[in-house]
Amino acid sequence: MKLTSVRPVATLLSRELGITALLLFGVSLVVFLVLYLSPGDPFSLLLQGQMATAAAREGVREALGVPKAWYGQYLVWIGNMLQGNFGTSIRSGLPVLNEIVRVGINTLYLTIGSMFVTLLVAVPIALSSARRGTTALNWPFTMFAYVVSALPVFWLGYIVIYIFMHKFGLFPILFRFSRDQGLSWLYFLLPIFVLGIGNGTISEVVRFLREEMSRVLAEDYIRTARAKGASIWAHSFKEGFLIPISEIIASKIPFILGGAVVVEQVFNWPGMGRMAWQAAQDRDYPVIMGIAIATAVLVRLGTLLQRVVYIMVNPRTS
Amino acid sequence: MTNLPILEIEGLRTYFFAKSKQAFIRAVDGVDLRINRGETLGLVGESGSGKSITALSIMGLISAEPGVISGRIGFKTDGIAVNLLRGLEEYVCLARKEGRVMEVRKDCVGWEKQVELLMGTIRGKEISVIFQNPRSSLNPFIPIGKQITEAILLKGRIKNRREAKQRALYWLEQVKIDSPRLRFDSYPYGLSGGMCQRAMVAMALASEPSLLIADEPTTGLDATIQSKIVDLLHELKSAFNVTTMLISHDIGVIKRLSDSAAVMYGGTLMEYGPAGDILRVDRESKHPYTAALLASIPSEKHIKEKAYLQAIEGDVLDTINTPDGCRFYARCNRVTEGIREKCQSHEPALREISPGHCVRCWLYFN
Amino acid sequence: MKRYSQLSRHVGAYSDLPFWKKAAPVELLYVGYGLLVVALVVVSYILGATHLLPHDPQEMDLQLLMAPPGTADHLLGTDFVGRDLLSRLILGIQAYFLPGLLAIAIALTLGTFLGVLAGYRGGRIDTAISYGANLIDSFPRLVLILLMVAAFKPDIYYIMVIVGLTNVPVVLSLIKGKIQFLKERDFIEAAIALGLKSRVIILKHILWYNCRTVLIIQATLGMAEAILIETSLSYLGFGVQEPTPSWGNMVQAGANYFMQGKFWPSTAPALAILVTIMGFHLLGDGLNTILEGKRGT
Repeated sequence: MKLTSVRPVATLLSRELGITALLLFGVSLVVFLVLYLSPGDPFSLLLQGQMATAAAREGVREALGVPKAWYGQYLVWIGNMLQGNFGTSIRSGLPVLNEIVRVGINTLYLTIGSMFVTLLVAVPIALSSARRGTTALNWPFTMFAYVVSALPVFWLGYIVIYIFMHKFGLFPILFRFSRDQGLSWLYFLLPIFVLGIGNGTISEVVRFLREEMSRVLAEDYIRTARAKGASIWAHSFKEGFLIPISEIIASKIPFILGGAVVVEQVFNWPGMGRMAWQAAQDRDYPVIMGIAIATAVLVRLGTLLQRVVYIMVNPRTS
Repeated sequence: MTNLPILEIEGLRTYFFAKSKQAFIRAVDGVDLRINRGETLGLVGESGSGKSITALSIMGLISAEPGVISGRIGFKTDGIAVNLLRGLEEYVCLARKEGRVMEVRKDCVGWEKQVELLMGTIRGKEISVIFQNPRSSLNPFIPIGKQITEAILLKGRIKNRREAKQRALYWLEQVKIDSPRLRFDSYPYGLSGGMCQRAMVAMALASEPSLLIADEPTTGLDATIQSKIVDLLHELKSAFNVTTMLISHDIGVIKRLSDSAAVMYGGTLMEYGPAGDILRVDRESKHPYTAALLASIPSEKHIKEKAYLQAIEGDVLDTINTPDGCRFYARCNRVTEGIREKCQSHEPALREISPGHCVRCWLYFN
Repeated sequence: MKRYSQLSRHVGAYSDLPFWKKAAPVELLYVGYGLLVVALVVVSYILGATHLLPHDPQEMDLQLLMAPPGTADHLLGTDFVGRDLLSRLILGIQAYFLPGLLAIAIALTLGTFLGVLAGYRGGRIDTAISYGANLIDSFPRLVLILLMVAAFKPDIYYIMVIVGLTNVPVVLSLIKGKIQFLKERDFIEAAIALGLKSRVIILKHILWYNCRTVLIIQATLGMAEAILIETSLSYLGFGVQEPTPSWGNMVQAGANYFMQGKFWPSTAPALAILVTIMGFHLLGDGLNTILEGKRGT
């Protein structure tokens, strides 16, 4: 039983927040470094874009100069970002943060939905394998998990779209449909299904959950529960299910976000992934930088939530 | 009424299969035991003799394969008379060669289902178990009070939560845990080994079982705490007259608490009878193994004379390669020339040498 | 009904079976399949590098558009402009094989080095390294790559350097975990007490004896990931460009035809990806179960 040392909850939580903040600081440094070192000095352009917006907001008319030294640039950039000013897109001229938030919601929907689908498939396989070992019943599903984890997600997307088009006769060129197109709402489930199944992590999720549950089922206190005639699920739930699931969700968020880039291409889904792809093509630095930071924030939030769950569940800390 | 056997084990065999050696580990190789109501049976033996596996076999907690392969465990108490291994023959098929089991065919999945059926009303309700290592045997995520309450509610006699909590507190008091009301909400990590073991005893007795199996209840605890737990068990025994199967490799513990004793070695019983007869040091012990065990306990005399510890020569029996003859032959120091050949080639049966006292040794009958 | 039989009456103390007899047959199947895939990949790489292909991968045969497998002497058929699919698939391996090896090399060497540092020395170095690892883990790989692409427009080798770097935390934590395991069992303390030099302890005892299986497994998973990333990138249009074939851009190019019901030009490379990645995954997992003794599928 891996338990942390005894400390009050507030201390542990603030420690986790501190670590998250420190890591996000590091993230900003990495992004800064990449852009600063890239040829053509895009960073100054970025800064100009940021400052132009700030100036426009404040109604100041004088031309603002971009600081020369690298730490100066970094500080101004970070200062602007913390105020919500991520600069403006080179391509569209729109403020980056607003754009990211606008499309970010679609990606969030994709991420959470597909996570749900992945778990829906992986959890029964993992729990059944942990409980009963490999049986004739769960081996095909385990194999299915392996096959599906190796499938290129874009191809799976094509298959699904093809079936959808030909079965339902709908041609989803536009994202939004008119209300009266019957089963068109199903189209919104397709990318979640595709990303959930095809993100390549199902076999790992199955393996991790199964190993953790098996480990817990072999513990002494489960033997006591059995001897008592108590519900094994109730006793193994916290350590064998809740904690591992929060761990695996937090650790797979980066993979799902990466997969979202591809899936949004396939479905022409207006999310952060597609925006990032466009930005990479156009070398639209403010946008790609904003998305890099936004995704890192999402990942760190996920980890933070997982740590919170752990602290709450662990009797030594709550 | 008082001397009705609660538990009667006949011919219990529990084998495991070592895949890496392609051979059977004959952990329990033919055990016959009887526990009468109100009696405490002490099961003694070295590590690896099969004592704990016997307890787990009774409870149907053996999950390794093939597990229990033969035997009959009769369990009789108020309103219940059942063979805990009922139907085993239908799931197991044995093949013998020269009297040894060399092949086992078992429907493990089916047998497990059958066990769940049989043991559903028994586990925790009629038979309770106390395990070794109490700190790891209690669920670290649940306060101990709740775990005891759970045991009471599972029994089914008390359905009301509040009543069950009162009962749990009552039992916490009975096991002499300090500040029971406070400890009720404690988690196992905040309790010492001794307190955890008291909590486990409370949990086991709270459901008022007909039989209590205590598997090495004092092992793993500090020496001073060990004696306290033994005292506690002694008190509870007189107060509640719990029928107990006490398993330990500590002869002192067995002596203090048991009415009858059974000595196990290499997966089977070597001697069985009233505790007084078997475990008295001054009396000439019947079985060579029992004698050697008792001799290895340092006494005051030994310490005063600064004599060497009397270890038993040789190694504990490897339950994979069980010998043809007597299992203890290799380490026995009382073999005479007259019986040597018999000891080497034929395993003696467990035979009565005085009322209630059985020995498995060629020295006592030809 | 399960059958257990003991064949010999006496069992020696050291008669343990070799690992290939102890392993469950399904694990051996996985490993066998995986090794087959590895062999095919290596052979195809060599064929591709030396241009020993059945057909010229760029040669278009406008009479034989989208021919099914088996027509003329096109074993896998042709694509939508009549190019031989088998040759293109074989050539497609060039796109990820060497870059993948680069990614693996970087991940393993850097990961091992940092893992040993963190595990062996511990303390502040460990904290700093953990921070760095968490930092790298904060970015989704593809997003980081897109960032790099926007900034530097790098070629596939640089991209694989980044992929390698993003795999460092995994290798790092595995090595660190092993060292902690050995520390708990006092192996390391015993080795030091016996007077062994640090370098010997680390290289021979820790890495070679205890970590080599884990590193091999990471190499297989690393290659699987390299394939995934390269094909995703070329699918998105950032990797290898037409007419040079990459399995990813082949799937993408055949997309329109797929929607018209002509599945094969997109499906053939997709199946290649599926079969190959699965091979590496199964190899890694199978080896993990057999060599590391985890509870397998």
